[in-house]
Amino acid sequence: MKRWGLILLALLVTVMAAHAASQSGAQTILQTPLNNAPYSDAAPVAQLPAGTNLTILERQGGWYHVRLDNGQDGWLQMTSIRMNGGGNTSNSGSGWGFGWLASLFESGRSGATGVTATTGVRGLNSGDIANAKPDPQATNEISTWAATPQQARQFAQQLGLKSEQVSYLPQTSGAQP
Amino acid sequence: MNARPPSEILHWRWPLLLMLALAACTSNGGLDLNGVFNTVKTVQQAVKPANLQEEEQIGYATASTLLGAAKPIDNPAVQDYVNKVGLWVAMHSSRPDLPWHFAVVDSNDIDAFAVPGGYVFVTRGLLLHMRSEAELAGALGHEISHVVLKQQLKALQKAAQLDLVGEVAQVELRQHGQNTQLFNSVANATRNLYSKGLDKQDEFEADRMGVVLAARAGYDPYGLVAVLQTLETVDPKSSSVQLLLATHPTPAARVARLSAEMTAGHMQRYGHQVEGVERYRQMIAKLVAAPATS
Repeated sequence: MKRWGLILLALLVTVMAAHAASQSGAQTILQTPLNNAPYSDAAPVAQLPAGTNLTILERQGGWYHVRLDNGQDGWLQMTSIRMNGGGNTSNSGSGWGFGWLASLFESGRSGATGVTATTGVRGLNSGDIANAKPDPQATNEISTWAATPQQARQFAQQLGLKSEQVSYLPQTSGAQP
Repeated sequence: MNARPPSEILHWRWPLLLMLALAACTSNGGLDLNGVFNTVKTVQQAVKPANLQEEEQIGYATASTLLGAAKPIDNPAVQDYVNKVGLWVAMHSSRPDLPWHFAVVDSNDIDAFAVPGGYVFVTRGLLLHMRSEAELAGALGHEISHVVLKQQLKALQKAAQLDLVGEVAQVELRQHGQNTQLFNSVANATRNLYSKGLDKQDEFEADRMGVVLAARAGYDPYGLVAVLQTLETVDPKSSSVQLLLATHPTPAARVARLSAEMTAGHMQRYGHQVEGVERYRQMIAKLVAAPATS
């Protein structure tokens, strides 16, 4: 039983990696240079008009590594593009992520009360919050998962995370939405 | 920023005290000074800024109310992961020693919640819409900032005080060390606040501080911008973002504002920091495998 779980897990990771890399369509939203590196002073390899279709390969800081339909690749500032998805038939958002896996949680599950939800879709809307019945037991339960600072430090080290001195950002003025 | 001036709180205190004194006179057919004194003490406790113990009590009631709407998922590996990432980011805030508790809750909708006293909840739907640990660190950084700035705490206190005006003549009830009157007032305030949301300026402020906490923790700080860009791709009519969009500025407005602030603050210099795509993917595999193997 456990072995099948592990095989399934390995399979999922493979499928997820392939899926995550394959669906990442986007468009430029303004005229922008395509650079040969993720820096503003890098050499531009092309000038792209607004509305250029492209595929996102990876992100590094505030830059996306993209490929154009003609096969050319380069780096764009992340704010110069908009990912495809908004208003489309799919409502789970960009394929560049794991949102498509949400459907796995949408059928035949038992709720926390032991009652199988009829629709299988567990939402959380303002009505759910407005009518929430407090569950102190759940609050007590989550404290068992708390990490210690020592555990957090060790976990950070495993990924090569290093603490940095970074100042708070100044508020921009007049940028009302 | 829209800081709530303390004078706003002080102003209604004196007329209220007068009313209480009058109420004490009439109800007992004479002046019950002891009653007035006790009631005044209760009101004063309610209006002053919360100390740590009070913040934890308010947080407990708020957390319990939210967890009543969405239960924590039964997946210790994923809960452990989110607690370690979350605590590591929180340790780089100005309140590293709060009893930080993170939890993934059972909803496919995309959202996250900050609760006074150090509770942070994210939905499974949000986890599934992110691609890396840096993105998670950015989203948690935003929520941790709400806690650090005490934005929900102040809003809840203000709302719960208004409730106390009506309940002020009641005897304070204590059961099992819990102040049930406080618990119920906060639960009511929570239902209201978390279905309507904070001031929009508070959200921009949490974005601005959240990316700094992620950068301090060694992550690529643009993770939060990437999360917001992903949110832009979700159909705004979708039920999965109904609550999020009802309680926050639009993702487009947040991306525009945050990226301008990050450029002004020279955050590009931290853009090469850790992204953590692979470790995040392994966590997602555990999240997804759990219902399939159990």
